[in-house]
Amino acid sequence: MNSPILKVAKFEVVRQLKKPSFWASILLMPLLIGFIYFISFTFGSEEVNTNPTIDENTTLAITDDAGILAANTPYVINGNKEYGIEHVKSGEFDLYFYIPSDFVESKKAEFYHVSEGLDLFNFDANILKGILAQNAAARVDAVDVISLTGNFEIVDNKLTINGEDENALGKAVIPISILVVFFMFITLFGNRFLMATVEEKENRVSEMILTAVTAKHLIIGKIIAMMTLGAVQVVTFVVPVLALVFLNRDNQFISMILDSIVIDPVAITMNIILFIAAVLFFAGTCTFVGSLVSTARDASSFIGPAIIAIVFPLYFMQLFFASEPNAIVYFLTYFPLSAPIALMMRSGFGTLGGVEFTIGLIEVSIMAAIMIRLAIKTFQKNAINFETVKLRLRLHKK
Amino acid sequence: MSNIVEVKNFKMKFGDKTVIRDLSFDVKKGEIFGLLGANGSGKTTTIRALLGLYEPTAGELLVDGKKYDAEDTDVVIGYLPEERGLYRKEKVIDTMVYFGELKGLKNPLEWSLKYLKRVDLLDKADEKLEKLSGGQQQKVQLGITIMNNPKLLILDEPTKGFDPMNRRLLMEIIDELYQKGTAVILITHYMDEVEKLCDRALLLKDGKAKAYGTIKDIKKEFNNKSLDQIFIDIYGGKDE
Repeated sequence: MNSPILKVAKFEVVRQLKKPSFWASILLMPLLIGFIYFISFTFGSEEVNTNPTIDENTTLAITDDAGILAANTPYVINGNKEYGIEHVKSGEFDLYFYIPSDFVESKKAEFYHVSEGLDLFNFDANILKGILAQNAAARVDAVDVISLTGNFEIVDNKLTINGEDENALGKAVIPISILVVFFMFITLFGNRFLMATVEEKENRVSEMILTAVTAKHLIIGKIIAMMTLGAVQVVTFVVPVLALVFLNRDNQFISMILDSIVIDPVAITMNIILFIAAVLFFAGTCTFVGSLVSTARDASSFIGPAIIAIVFPLYFMQLFFASEPNAIVYFLTYFPLSAPIALMMRSGFGTLGGVEFTIGLIEVSIMAAIMIRLAIKTFQKNAINFETVKLRLRLHKK
Repeated sequence: MSNIVEVKNFKMKFGDKTVIRDLSFDVKKGEIFGLLGANGSGKTTTIRALLGLYEPTAGELLVDGKKYDAEDTDVVIGYLPEERGLYRKEKVIDTMVYFGELKGLKNPLEWSLKYLKRVDLLDKADEKLEKLSGGQQQKVQLGITIMNNPKLLILDEPTKGFDPMNRRLLMEIIDELYQKGTAVILITHYMDEVEKLCDRALLLKDGKAKAYGTIKDIKKEFNNKSLDQIFIDIYGGKDE
């Protein structure tokens, strides 16, 4: 390992990994989530909603081939499964349940509805449980075993019209998860980035170290180190969460989420590429701010507004759901600081085309390069200036 | 003897303030050169410009015939700056090994332990730097400065804060390096150190050379007064 960049990176990574505070900060969040999960599953119960509310504008139909429902149960129709599905497709039924003849043995009912885009978790499926609990008088044995306990599966069948899969949110799960990882990165690592750059000045080491290594190597080494530590942090956070999901994959809520996920390779690839560019941009911004100031305290007053600008698109998330982006969404997409998150959201929700992706990626990459370059230049010039640079605005009277 | 440092017509301005005015001098290979002057006379600024930490307003500052660039140089430089500091939260040995690696030492751990033993700090190797006294930290810094066997050693007030024993230890270390052929630029306010160690010296006042040459010649120029008295005369205004 002869490169000074790697030597700097190794020093920075090893010293952080040795600190108990580093592990405490990254384990705190998964432990907290685990604790909340444990509490909710220990003290919570999966009670059947025995009083389902159905919107008066919603048309509901049930075909009961198992003969489990009482004769006067509302919504039960005489038509068979095909009839029900056709009426869902034609828009006459919003929700359609099919209870097959082997329902008691298979413990499976079927649910049909037209996918309406952002419907990741369709809680309408539980309506059948409530109806069964109230109206399953016809077969008391089945009521005891299945209906009242709610211990049966409802297979959710989202129907598509003209072959178009409109499950946009299902497609968005993985790309948006990448955005969540970026969000975690900036919230958990912003301060660490600043500290890493300010430390040499705060400890008056910069003059000595700059005779052993160039500012360029020092800054790039630190950025690599922080990105490595970020990866450690994300893995430490994500692995327990994935393990919990895997261990509880039979849980109705979790299986519903898992069933809803649609793999969209294009959006996932776009967001991975945008994530890398965004992390570099953020790292460059933090190191640039760090190189301008002389103490971590000074740095925090500069970086706060920058982080707010970066996460700003999240306040307008609702606007990003629309299939046609409006002026605000376009502004957030191309405003340098808000671009990374806006681009990732649009890619996740399927409203970012190839051309816009390319323009956005080029913009974020150029900004990252500019910020890193500025950080190096400023650190070089400002390394032995132990006072925060004062930004002066001079007004010239003509 | 050829020059390791050449400064020609060096001028330095910070905003409207001129710190160095047309300064020229050289440092020969293998000599100990005293860079003298009161606080604010421009000594540290000259060294920072020589090492590329400041961009000169005018003039040339050359190390072994070239403008110094840490990325592209054959000259090994050891620099103990006036601004003292280390990674306070890190262990002594980890810090020394880090600098050793950056400076390309083959076995930085072995060298560091040997040095710590010599300066009586071996028992502090695993201590955090912030736990060490100012003098002990300074010895660690000196070790970092000389660890790569420099051809040019620049020491900015190296004995500041040292007790007499440690001052003697430092003088020994400087002498050892000098014997090996290292050129030393010594910035100090202690004229006895200059008289004892330096071959030649430059006395700066307000960014201008007020005396320059061998110690013998400088004394001769000022009627064989002691360096202390010459310093007082220059800064007391008798030279003007």
